[in-house]
Amino acid sequence: MQTSQLANPLATVEQISSSGSQLDGIPADLEHSIQFAGARLTQAAGILLRLPQEIIAQAIVIFTRFWIGSEGGSLAEYGAEQVSSASLYLIAKLSAYPKSPRSILNVYAYLDSFSSTFIEPGKLQANNPESYYLSEGSYHAQRTLLLRTEAHILRILGFQTHVSLPYTLCINYLQTLDVFSQPRASELAKRAFAHLNTALLSPQLLYLTHQPPCLATAAIYLAAREVGVKLPDNEWWEVFDTDREELGFLVVGLMSMEGFVAEEKAQWGKRKVPMSVDDVEAEIERRKIMNGNG
Amino acid sequence: MTGGKSRWMNEEEDAEVEAQRKREKEEKKSAKLEKQRKLEEEARRRAEPTTSKNRTDIGLDRPTKRRRLSPDKDELVTATQQMKLLRFSASEWGPCRLVDNFERLNHIEEGSYGWVSRARESATGEVVALKKLKMDNLNDGFPVTALREIQTLKESKHRHIVGLREVVVGNTLDDVYLVMEFLEHDLKTLQEDMAEPFLPSEIKTLLLQLGSAVEYLHDHWILHANLKTSNILMNNRGEIKIADFGMARYFGDPPPPKMTQLVVTLWYRAPELLLGTEDYGKPIDIWSVGCIFGELLTKEPLLQGKNEVDELSKIFELCGIPTEETWPGFKRLPNARSLRLPRTHQTVGSVIRSKFPFLTSAGSQLLISLLSLNPARRPTATEMLAHPYFKEDPRPKSTAMFPTFPSKAGQERRKRMASPSAPKRGDAPKMDVQGLDFSGIFAGRDMEESGAGFQLKLV
Repeated sequence: MQTSQLANPLATVEQISSSGSQLDGIPADLEHSIQFAGARLTQAAGILLRLPQEIIAQAIVIFTRFWIGSEGGSLAEYGAEQVSSASLYLIAKLSAYPKSPRSILNVYAYLDSFSSTFIEPGKLQANNPESYYLSEGSYHAQRTLLLRTEAHILRILGFQTHVSLPYTLCINYLQTLDVFSQPRASELAKRAFAHLNTALLSPQLLYLTHQPPCLATAAIYLAAREVGVKLPDNEWWEVFDTDREELGFLVVGLMSMEGFVAEEKAQWGKRKVPMSVDDVEAEIERRKIMNGNG
Repeated sequence: MTGGKSRWMNEEEDAEVEAQRKREKEEKKSAKLEKQRKLEEEARRRAEPTTSKNRTDIGLDRPTKRRRLSPDKDELVTATQQMKLLRFSASEWGPCRLVDNFERLNHIEEGSYGWVSRARESATGEVVALKKLKMDNLNDGFPVTALREIQTLKESKHRHIVGLREVVVGNTLDDVYLVMEFLEHDLKTLQEDMAEPFLPSEIKTLLLQLGSAVEYLHDHWILHANLKTSNILMNNRGEIKIADFGMARYFGDPPPPKMTQLVVTLWYRAPELLLGTEDYGKPIDIWSVGCIFGELLTKEPLLQGKNEVDELSKIFELCGIPTEETWPGFKRLPNARSLRLPRTHQTVGSVIRSKFPFLTSAGSQLLISLLSLNPARRPTATEMLAHPYFKEDPRPKSTAMFPTFPSKAGQERRKRMASPSAPKRGDAPKMDVQGLDFSGIFAGRDMEESGAGFQLKLV
């Protein structure tokens, strides 16, 4: 069957209802926390590598696809940081902005130097970059791991590296809706883009379950309500291949992100979310002891 | 503007009331819609009671080793039934299967990016072509060319493009194979065994098929960047399919920065690439199509240069010397600075018409336009398909009427003939080292005309 280049491969029901980590006994809430932190790490690393957002977004989608399904990658086998860096490396390589393993690994080493997982975006460059770099020995070890992880990602995804994104569609739809003649149009566009960026981090895996046209439509709908820009009275979303039910689901999903992020922040506080296989083991061990004591 | 703002503020209450009214209206409307939808659905269910069954069957008959969990299947089916909007058909992903599912039959050939063999899928008995990817630049991880090949092939579903069925892997991380449709011939080997070139009607059919594939690729923003007869496969029903996407890549408008000019096998490489442009696009594929057209006419590759310099001089010999009028700006291309072109602007035009005396004038018009030195003057694939050449007699032969040939790939190991392969990554063109002197190419031309004897003037 002919598939459009605008369409994404979507997760199957089976893939959503199971995961490699779950089968290995990783608690679901921990899995969500790690995936969220990993997606955020990918975004941060992409910004520091000065990659365009479309590359970063594609890498986050690849990162997210890697974990789902009974035959997806398991946190007991792959660390989130390692999969994040390999996703970014892979997608950048396919783009017009390839990055060397050394640049990628240096950036991840630098980000690892922060004591908390939840770095404020404005403070991404607060630490002195020059005091955090890889020694030659650990560079070689990590590069081997990076390239091996890349090969594993490709195998688990069956070499499906196609990711189409809703950003350009979003602008296109805003133009179609003729909002750019309205005074707060650029604020609306920015807000819609912000929602699209946030949706990348969603524990509901919105980019794996919904097509770009629906994501763009939902982002516009919500942003227009927040900014106060008037959109047509009729069911305009149907023009963009989105029905009311899906629109509603996505809008609720987007609105729930704020609460989810706040919860994650509160839960982890100044502690780090475990981003390697060893750290995950240690965290599970810690939970066992805590439960034993309590 | 300020007036508008304050008015907006004043009317806030009114707006709210109105919104309330609207909401109620909308609720009514949606309830109505819901009702209608349900009615429609019921009607549909009565009309075709088997639809939902079929849908699940389709999902199931795909050979997969993925664990299937029972819940939600029925829910999913009803959900899809309710939707009335047209949807993109979404593909899925899953882990690679093992190459052990295939038994290798015989070796076909070694391309620039891998080894190809004929194989049979043990479960289905289907014969496929199995291409093992070469893992050369392991310092950079998985070769980007192989990734692009997979990505572009996956996107290309067209009757005249070889189908990639899946990617399978072996036991080590470096063992990756592409499972593709098997076709009996490639055009190059086939032509070598033919006593006479293809008939004009057959050439038209081949070109139309090739053109439609190139049109599809370009419409999908894919450059093949290595079109040549050995990359065009053919089955025994006269159908051709483009293969070997080892150099293919996505492009854009404007083109992505810093594209390598090291694409396309030398004999099919467009002049702008030889002159070192980094800013190229669809016309490079069209040039290759022109070269293939010429090759089909004579059964001989059209421009067999020994190296970049020789290729360029062969091109100028055939197509004439470019001038600032025929190709504005060509002198600013990186490798053009070292060119020394003949100073006389007289008859240094194309000799294509005289080289193919048996081609109709529409045919040579088409060939001349495909082989325009100036990339901007080459037709698009769509324009090419609409060319009068394909409308005049002899009409394109139906593929069903094509002769069949014994398949070399199917039975025996092929003999490899000497022909250049696709450029390797890394070997930069060394054109600017020696000063290139093209001034001699047409040196003898003025004399020729004064020679004795009768000659039909074709140029």
